[in-house]
Amino acid sequence: MLWAGWHNLRERRLALERARESHMALVPDNGKASAAGQNTAQGTSQPDLQGKAAPAFTLVDLNGKKVSLKDYKGRPVLVNFWATWCAPCKLEMPWFEEFRKKYGPQGFEILGIAEDDAGKDEIAKAVKRINVSYPILLGDNKVAPAYGGIDYLPESFYVDRNGVVETQTSGLGSKDEIEANIQRLIGAGSAPSTPTKTAATPAASGL
Amino acid sequence: MRRWLAVALAVLTVGGVFGAGRFVQPVAAQQMGDFDSQETHAKVKDFIVYAPEQQTAVAGKRSVLELNFRVLDGLHVNSHTPTSELLIATTLTLDAAPGIKMEQPVYPAGATYSFSFAPNEKLDVYSGGFTVKLPVVAQAGDRTIQGKLRYQACDRAACYPPKTLPVQVAIAAR
Repeated sequence: MLWAGWHNLRERRLALERARESHMALVPDNGKASAAGQNTAQGTSQPDLQGKAAPAFTLVDLNGKKVSLKDYKGRPVLVNFWATWCAPCKLEMPWFEEFRKKYGPQGFEILGIAEDDAGKDEIAKAVKRINVSYPILLGDNKVAPAYGGIDYLPESFYVDRNGVVETQTSGLGSKDEIEANIQRLIGAGSAPSTPTKTAATPAASGL
Repeated sequence: MRRWLAVALAVLTVGGVFGAGRFVQPVAAQQMGDFDSQETHAKVKDFIVYAPEQQTAVAGKRSVLELNFRVLDGLHVNSHTPTSELLIATTLTLDAAPGIKMEQPVYPAGATYSFSFAPNEKLDVYSGGFTVKLPVVAQAGDRTIQGKLRYQACDRAACYPPKTLPVQVAIAAR
């Protein structure tokens, strides 16, 4: 359960801040520094999308077909950002595939967005090797900024039936935790959206 | 250890010149040469520190230079020989330089690493300090090699996009 806190975005930011504190360096101030505690490891502000409408996107899949998030309105969707070079991403993707089979009958779907400089062929080769069959979309220069910049991977956004981000996670979590997020997602969004905070703030009680 | 203290002192000294009385921003340390570009410095963070030491070589003789890097605490990077071709190997590329013949860099062996949620998935990584050896034959004089280190860093749960760290090797061949 301790890892549940690590998987949480907010706690993750705090941990990264703590890590950075041990690597202080004096640098010129260009006036763009953000308030302490609001930066990611890359020094860019990353909004918490939880409880907000998931940013719309239309991307191309590996077959060249256009896919929009709005196509999945009314279904619980996991939007997962990943890359071919990201080892933890490739660890969790087979879990996603398993959960897609398990919860697909309840409408659950996964959209994997490759945030990768590798070409389509390389991405397709990786997908084949990882052995996942859910839609893989090719990132463009708009979708990552819309989702807060995606400074590190993996990052996942659990979007409920109403198109609202129910849970947002960064980094590799446990398989059990991912399944719990999916179960909560499937149960959410049938009524007017009331996003659960438990997944986003376990750190408050966990770590 | 002394070498890293020296680098830290140098960074603080440069920061003191350029940043006296200014904001102290926590960022990963950079090569000192990066201080001439505030815009770049504000946006590009590195997860590896390079210690740009003055190298010495015997003129006209084969010498093995040692280039010292340090991965920031809590992070690791793939070694030069990662466990999967999909992973990005740490690779040093060096530009040709007049008066210097270079052999291929010699990389250290990596250490085995696993993410806690998948203990059976093994990675081959560098963490902490690591040294890349560079055999050269330098003609007499002060020589400089420009290059870059490409790497991709992760912490214990997430990964950061691939980075390229500028590397400058100053050699006094006598």
